Amino acid sequence: MKGPTYSSVNRDVLAPLFTPNAAYMGALTAALAALAWGGYCWAQQLVHGLGVAGYRPPVFWGVYITTFVFWVGIGHAGTLISAVLFLTRSRWRTGIYRAAEAMTIFAVMTAALFPAIHVGRAWYAYFLFPYPNQRQLWVNFKSPLMWDVFAVSTYFTVSTVFFFIGLVPDMAAVRDSTRGYTQKLYAVMCLGWRGTDRQWRHYMAAYGFFAALATPLVLSVHSVVSWDFAMAQTPGWHSTIFPPYFVAGAIFSGCAMVITLMLPLTKIFKLEDYIHVWHFEHLAKLCLFTGGILTYAYGTEYFIAWYSDNIYEWGTFVDRVVGNYWWVFATMVFCNCLAPLPWYFKKVRTSYLWLFVISILINVGMWFERYNIIASSLSHSFDPAGWVYYVPTYIEWGIMLGSFGWFFTWFLLFVKIMPSVAIAEVKEMMRPPLKSDEEVAAK
Amino acid sequence: MATMNRRDFLRNSAIASSATAVACTWDPKVPVENVLPYVHQDDDVLPGVAQYFATTCTACASACGMVVRVKEGRAIHVSGNPDNPSAVGLCTRGHMVLTETYNPDRFAGPLKAGQPATWDDTLAGLQQAVTQARTDGKAVAWLGQYRTGSLRRLLDELGAGIGLRRVHWDALGVETLLAASRIAFNKDVLPTYDLAEARTIVSFGMDFLSTSVDAMHMIDGWSKARDPKQGAFVARYVAFEPRVSVTSSQADNFLPPTPGTEALVAMALARIVHDKVKYSGPASALVSGVDVAAAVQASGISQEKLEQVAGWITEQPSVVLPGGHANASVDGTALAVATLLINEYAGNIGRSVVFGRELDLGPVNSYADVKALLEDARAGRVGVLFVDGVNPVYNLPIGDNVAEALAAVGTVAHFASGPNDSIVGAAIVLPTGGGLEDWGDAEVIAGLHSMQQPTMNPAQDTRSVGDVLLALGKVLVPAAAAATEVPAPAATEAAPALADGASPAVPAAAPAVVAPTRAGFDAADFGAYVKARWEREIFPLSGATDFTRFWVETLQRGGFFQDATKVRADLVLTTAPAIAGIAAGTEPALVIFPSPHLGDGRHANQPWAQELPDPLSTYSWTSWVEIAPATAKKLGLGESDKVKIKTDAGEIEVGYFASPGVPENVVAVNLGNGHEQMGRYGTGRGANPVRLLVSATDPVSGALAYYGTRATVSRAAGASDVFAAVGNIDQDGRPIANTVTVDEAVAKLEGEAGSIVHLHSIPLDERLVSQGITDMYPEPQHPTYRFGMAIDTNVCNGCMACVVACNLENNIPFIGPDQTRKSRFMSWIRMDRFWEGEGEHQDVRHMPSLCQHCAHAPCEGVCPVLATYHNLDGLNAMIYNRCVGTRYCANNCPYTARRFNFHTWQWPESMHLMLNPDVSTREMGVMEKCTFCVQRIRAAKDSWRDVGQTVPDQALQKLTACASACPSGAITFGNAKDAESTVAKKWESPRAYTLLGELNTKPGIRYLARARFSDGAVSDAGGHGSAPANHGAAPAHHEEG
Repeated sequence: MKGPTYSSVNRDVLAPLFTPNAAYMGALTAALAALAWGGYCWAQQLVHGLGVAGYRPPVFWGVYITTFVFWVGIGHAGTLISAVLFLTRSRWRTGIYRAAEAMTIFAVMTAALFPAIHVGRAWYAYFLFPYPNQRQLWVNFKSPLMWDVFAVSTYFTVSTVFFFIGLVPDMAAVRDSTRGYTQKLYAVMCLGWRGTDRQWRHYMAAYGFFAALATPLVLSVHSVVSWDFAMAQTPGWHSTIFPPYFVAGAIFSGCAMVITLMLPLTKIFKLEDYIHVWHFEHLAKLCLFTGGILTYAYGTEYFIAWYSDNIYEWGTFVDRVVGNYWWVFATMVFCNCLAPLPWYFKKVRTSYLWLFVISILINVGMWFERYNIIASSLSHSFDPAGWVYYVPTYIEWGIMLGSFGWFFTWFLLFVKIMPSVAIAEVKEMMRPPLKSDEEVAAK
Repeated sequence: MATMNRRDFLRNSAIASSATAVACTWDPKVPVENVLPYVHQDDDVLPGVAQYFATTCTACASACGMVVRVKEGRAIHVSGNPDNPSAVGLCTRGHMVLTETYNPDRFAGPLKAGQPATWDDTLAGLQQAVTQARTDGKAVAWLGQYRTGSLRRLLDELGAGIGLRRVHWDALGVETLLAASRIAFNKDVLPTYDLAEARTIVSFGMDFLSTSVDAMHMIDGWSKARDPKQGAFVARYVAFEPRVSVTSSQADNFLPPTPGTEALVAMALARIVHDKVKYSGPASALVSGVDVAAAVQASGISQEKLEQVAGWITEQPSVVLPGGHANASVDGTALAVATLLINEYAGNIGRSVVFGRELDLGPVNSYADVKALLEDARAGRVGVLFVDGVNPVYNLPIGDNVAEALAAVGTVAHFASGPNDSIVGAAIVLPTGGGLEDWGDAEVIAGLHSMQQPTMNPAQDTRSVGDVLLALGKVLVPAAAAATEVPAPAATEAAPALADGASPAVPAAAPAVVAPTRAGFDAADFGAYVKARWEREIFPLSGATDFTRFWVETLQRGGFFQDATKVRADLVLTTAPAIAGIAAGTEPALVIFPSPHLGDGRHANQPWAQELPDPLSTYSWTSWVEIAPATAKKLGLGESDKVKIKTDAGEIEVGYFASPGVPENVVAVNLGNGHEQMGRYGTGRGANPVRLLVSATDPVSGALAYYGTRATVSRAAGASDVFAAVGNIDQDGRPIANTVTVDEAVAKLEGEAGSIVHLHSIPLDERLVSQGITDMYPEPQHPTYRFGMAIDTNVCNGCMACVVACNLENNIPFIGPDQTRKSRFMSWIRMDRFWEGEGEHQDVRHMPSLCQHCAHAPCEGVCPVLATYHNLDGLNAMIYNRCVGTRYCANNCPYTARRFNFHTWQWPESMHLMLNPDVSTREMGVMEKCTFCVQRIRAAKDSWRDVGQTVPDQALQKLTACASACPSGAITFGNAKDAESTVAKKWESPRAYTLLGELNTKPGIRYLARARFSDGAVSDAGGHGSAPANHGAAPAHHEEG
């Protein structure tokens, strides 16, 4: 038999839902352990105060905000792949979009932890929501942090709804392969899907609308996050280039993360029939494109800092290269600007090993990009009396590790509970059975 | 749930809802507090209303006037006493009187060999010991700090009665200056130096802006001399000393002679001045033998430079100040005499070097006298030794074996409020109440009789020194002195005594010294003794008739202050001073300099004294060595390396500061840390530099030579514990602390329009500016007040009095050495230090940096919960309860003025009693910053509103804690909306600029640029178009309009 059939799609894609193998259990244990360590570190911080972190005034933001922005950025690729590529009818999205969407949701869930972890009094974090109260306290809609609250929560809501809409036909497939209690659960999640023509027609229309609704959010959410920095007047932050630069960076890191996640997934669950190397190749090309934008943005930042003749701005940018944080800057430039370049060669971007290695480097580089923006700018602000060097503590690294634990726990649960490849769309792409070549061609 | 009836439902829901309510109200972070009523309320205590007591500071020998603020029976703040002419503000050490009172290590009662004892037993034991010693023919000795006023008198009386051998010594003492005064003027008092009128101030090492006696008074004169408003000149300050100190950091010309040649330079200068003015007085012959060329050769200071300095000196009026600790070498007295000689030639004696307000610190003994006493002690010739407020084990060189000498004394009794290195073994501790609980008085400056009154009930079972002396005298003196006639007060003093009446400062009306009578010991307590003495001796000076009234007024005013006139004294010098020169050597000469905050080390257990960064190195909580940057480079030192300093006496290992103000042939270590036993905050920090001294003395005065020991410097193993609070040595070309040249400053005096400060500014779009559009948001409304501040950096020397005053007023916690190393200083004022110059023109710029209370505050817009906002008074207000702690405000503050509570900082038991009840303490996770002392503003507004008025300028000028503390009057507060207010006028000064004004934050603080002589001025601000446009000033105009 050559190539998958409709029945083999169901069998292969749903296989992970039934038999957890040793690799899976190992990965889940590791993720839970990381999560537990992160929880311990956070508990330390809640009891003793933020002083357990390495903050060194005037560096008041550090690893937490860096990691927050990192995860928000990761959360970009999912919606881009599922919504934008759907609207542009890029057919290569089918194999990967489900997992990418799941990644988006979990990444945003991870990012959403960080405002609470980051604030000094986590027990009052609810002050950030504009809830009606008798004391007539209200929030400040001028503050970019407030915009953040809305941007991230909107993005989370829309991508979650979009995700579940996309899952409906597949949930029905799972329902049909399970029995008893689980079957009832999946029956609820598929909203009584029967696969009738009428349902398909409405479904596709709804999906299209949601895709259209989600698309602007891809641009808005990271633009808003970038305003956290761009709206402040701190040298190194106060720059109009930030929104496009951040969105490009987000897509760059998001696509890299999709590669990082999907490669092992494909290998472990033997989904090579559905997720081909050309899927990854497309992602790599997207990375090359956005990475190029990023490199250009880095150059523009330096040019403007120099051309503006603003001594504060230029001082910060010079300090990034030659100051204490030179290694952060070097890591960023190497990972984001240079590391993806080998992907220009087809051999490299079709090699699983190189795809994986470079995607990891991009993830590292994008984390350091945010670290570079946050830590080095705050360490070298207007008044030279306040120049310091910030070094994070094990608590911050622990919480960051915990955030990966949290993310991977969700992701691993997802692959165990839901089909990680969109069954219905894969089938759409396949050659229908009992049809001749001529009929397919005529269609 | 079918079985649940109505009653069960109601019961369950009641439990559930009350449990929920309880869970929601209980917050583990909020401590349980009980409100207790006053059972017996004092008549004069009104809860919530502060009382003020005018008293005298006891932190050092200067005895400056001080006002203590008391709330509900607890002293909570101290500041300078404006009625007392001795000082305008209060230095950092003065504020330590308060923390000393509440120090957790304070003695709770008498101790004997470390064990608690009762006062009765302790005093009985002491009386017995004294009797025994006298029977055995052993000395009863007294080693203590300088004492003036009633305590000096009581000591005289007791000394006469029991034959007390007294040695009064201060580690930062004046024996050298006194010796010079005796030689030059034949006077046992010190002249005062009037800086206010001086055109040129030449100093040979005097720390006149920080630790020298009478510094507060001299700072006042200094700030007047530096103010370009005072006639069309600014005083030039020339410093001849080995290292840039807090004081000489203000120098316009810093000229370090080769170590050991300072006195030669002074004599050469005397010669040149002598020749220049064609002096023909009696002292003319004294410089005939001076070889200027040899001095030039030896000192490395060129003849042209000396000629130039001499030229400045001859421009009247000038003043030449004698050496302080920086120049306390074996030639200390010779140098001091030489400076008096220069003053004589320049005609300054009687003009700027004057008597009339002379300093009389009581009996003054030298280090040599202390050594002699210890020698006797070691030989077993001392039966009882009283130690009063000095710490010889710490402050004397190790070669003196002080601990061994103390151990050989039969009974050692310490008057101390907390532990120190000298209280060891079987010593008796007689705990004193300190400056806030005890009666006393002081007469350091002639004519200024300063009153010290108790401001609160003793917090511990303590007695004042005077009370203990009275108790001893009551028992001992009748037996000992019954047969003898009343002696003259100074007859038994070990040092040449000073007769009170001899001073010409006290006008002719001064009565003859009233012989002390035995009756003095009948006083019920020392308070009664003080009162009796005032009635007897000081009341007659006042010319008043009703003593009760005089006494009440004295207590209200903080003393009785006589006017003084300048009195000239003739130079009686007949021989030129002999100059020995410090030991020659190729190694660098060691300077031990007093810490501006720890003094001679006595304040080392005061956490605030430890935590305040040094104004120059900005290090805290430790000791360090200052070496030349070139030396550091030569040794290949990394940032956190330790340095070993080795002399013939010993070695220490400390971190280093590569100071641009230290020449390569000098190393300097700060005095104050390195205690073996100094309570929880002072023990085991840094190293004791006195351990490096070889007991060399100035042969004339007997003073310990703090300067001149040859030391080798090498790299040591291990990491140092120093941490710089200020990140960068200079301002990297940024216009933060700006200067103008003196020529510009005097050409355009205060009140004239237009700025002379050259600032980097980005031009706004002319089309918008021409239409008056400079802002996106409208100006905030300020209907009545726009509180603002003017800070004159021209007279700020970075002493940090403002910082510590603010800390105490606003309940700002100290955070300890570990947290300071993470830069988490909580002080709302950060003292920026930018070291711009080098060589002769050092240009160290100090600038208090605090919340600028911007009208367009960057912090306000970014707070997501509106925890910070601009109020109608122009304050940038902060709501702690609303703050979630996103710290966005702090990131967006260009002045980095915001402080974050990384932990819930703790005040140890007893220190929390010092907290100001008007200011809430802050929990972890909350942002805070300068409030312009909003609690004081509120109180002032309330009380003036009661009489239907707005607060007048006079009541606002020094309202904030920082402004009231500043000894040089650099900080002015007020209502900038009132065009007639002092602050509004200062805002319009040609030297005024707003910090980072180009950001259009419209700060509520304007700085007045420092005036520098153009021969040493460096140009400010890089970037394009250094246009003299005062950016911040223009928008503020329309705010007023």
